[in-house]
Amino acid sequence: MEEKVNKLMLVCGTVPVKDLPLISGRAVFEGEFLSVNGFKVPCAQGTAAMIGGALSVADCLKLEPPQALVVGDTGRGQGSYLLYEFLIQRVSTLSPDVLVLHYCLPDMTLMRKLCESVRSCAKRPLMIADAASMYAAKAAGLATEFDIFTPDLCEMAFLADPDASHPAYINKHLFEADIAKVPELVAAAYQLKSAARLLLVKGAVDYIAEDGKVVDIVSEPNIPELEAIGGTGDVITGIVSALAYAGLELREAAKTSALVNRMAGKLARPSPATRVWQVISQLPAALEQRRVTC
Amino acid sequence: MVLKKAKVKAESGGLLLFEKVEDAVRAEEILSEADYTVRLVAPPPTFRMGCDLAIEINLVEQIGIGRLFREKGVNYLKVVPLKGAGRLLDVVKVTEFKDATMVKAGNMKVTFDKNKGTILNVSGGGCPDIPYLSASLIGKKLSDAPRPKDIGFTLCAMMMDRAVVECLELWRKRLTS
Repeated sequence: MEEKVNKLMLVCGTVPVKDLPLISGRAVFEGEFLSVNGFKVPCAQGTAAMIGGALSVADCLKLEPPQALVVGDTGRGQGSYLLYEFLIQRVSTLSPDVLVLHYCLPDMTLMRKLCESVRSCAKRPLMIADAASMYAAKAAGLATEFDIFTPDLCEMAFLADPDASHPAYINKHLFEADIAKVPELVAAAYQLKSAARLLLVKGAVDYIAEDGKVVDIVSEPNIPELEAIGGTGDVITGIVSALAYAGLELREAAKTSALVNRMAGKLARPSPATRVWQVISQLPAALEQRRVTC
Repeated sequence: MVLKKAKVKAESGGLLLFEKVEDAVRAEEILSEADYTVRLVAPPPTFRMGCDLAIEINLVEQIGIGRLFREKGVNYLKVVPLKGAGRLLDVVKVTEFKDATMVKAGNMKVTFDKNKGTILNVSGGGCPDIPYLSASLIGKKLSDAPRPKDIGFTLCAMMMDRAVVECLELWRKRLTS
């Protein structure tokens, strides 16, 4: 891997804390919480779980910690709009090496403006999107501006649906496709230019796809309970982002993140009631088992 | 009054259709006051029903907009997406664990305890109300939990609501079997 000094990984999204202003800073773990600039955010489903996954990997690999950019939003979108506007105006100045976009109100027009701003960066960042940032990118026809998407099976069907602007509107037959149909959905999504350069499809079997084809599959250890635990998919997004930030080839980063997340899940001895921070807390041991080092 | 009827932009995602022009005008005022980004437009012929005014909305926000209209007594005909079949996904998938049942509706999954009827976990989704709704629901009895459609704002919340309704149905069947 390359030596990484003074690089910037910017991890962005909304968190469910009413009236939390837009804040930026290094996140640190405080038990079941993340702390960013002194503001505590529950390390639960959503952006916080994604940041938790990225932070844990960065800590273990002794990387420069990711910079969190978060804002409170409980659904009305005001926080999301602040986040979009900040990034549209500042991304070229910040010039991140890795830009991860996560939970927010999907807005196609603002996503288009953001992608225009990213194009004006002196050095193009590695672009990663999940959750509603991925929905907005696909719906606006901007998927090919991204390097990694991390959909689950339903979201993969959404990417393969030429008409849907949100997973709630996908074609019923695509929703009913089982995990074995992922290669067909992948091919359709690439055909439509609705896929990022690499797709990491999260599910009972994790599929890694590039250029329209599945190039790797990870299916063990198989822990069915992980699907019920809110935030496990977000953690994978954080892990793959941090591993890409560390300099791994995208394909290797995706495979390793799928494996490490499964191992952490196994170590957490989960039930359907397990909380995602309990899985995140096992990431150092999982990385150690996988012998992931810089 | 001269109404500006702009052309529909596909990027808005959805249209609100109205029976009467005055309903559309009032709706636009109420939505603008509530800080929704909306526009009065002339609906394309394929979507036209009722009057020849419609409002462009971010389709994702329809659940919050519908609730605001109920509160304010605004009449509207329907919401239509500008692309696609126009129907919300209405099928669910059920996965059984030893002591829990997980219901998937679209991109949302809700899991409840088979023996206690308590919501154990919520996963999936990507809109900003989902983590907030999850925190509001987890640990509550299905029968006591708030409905996502009543406190959420987005299409992800609507899918979560469908999953919760199915969980309730399964739980009630279990109680009576």
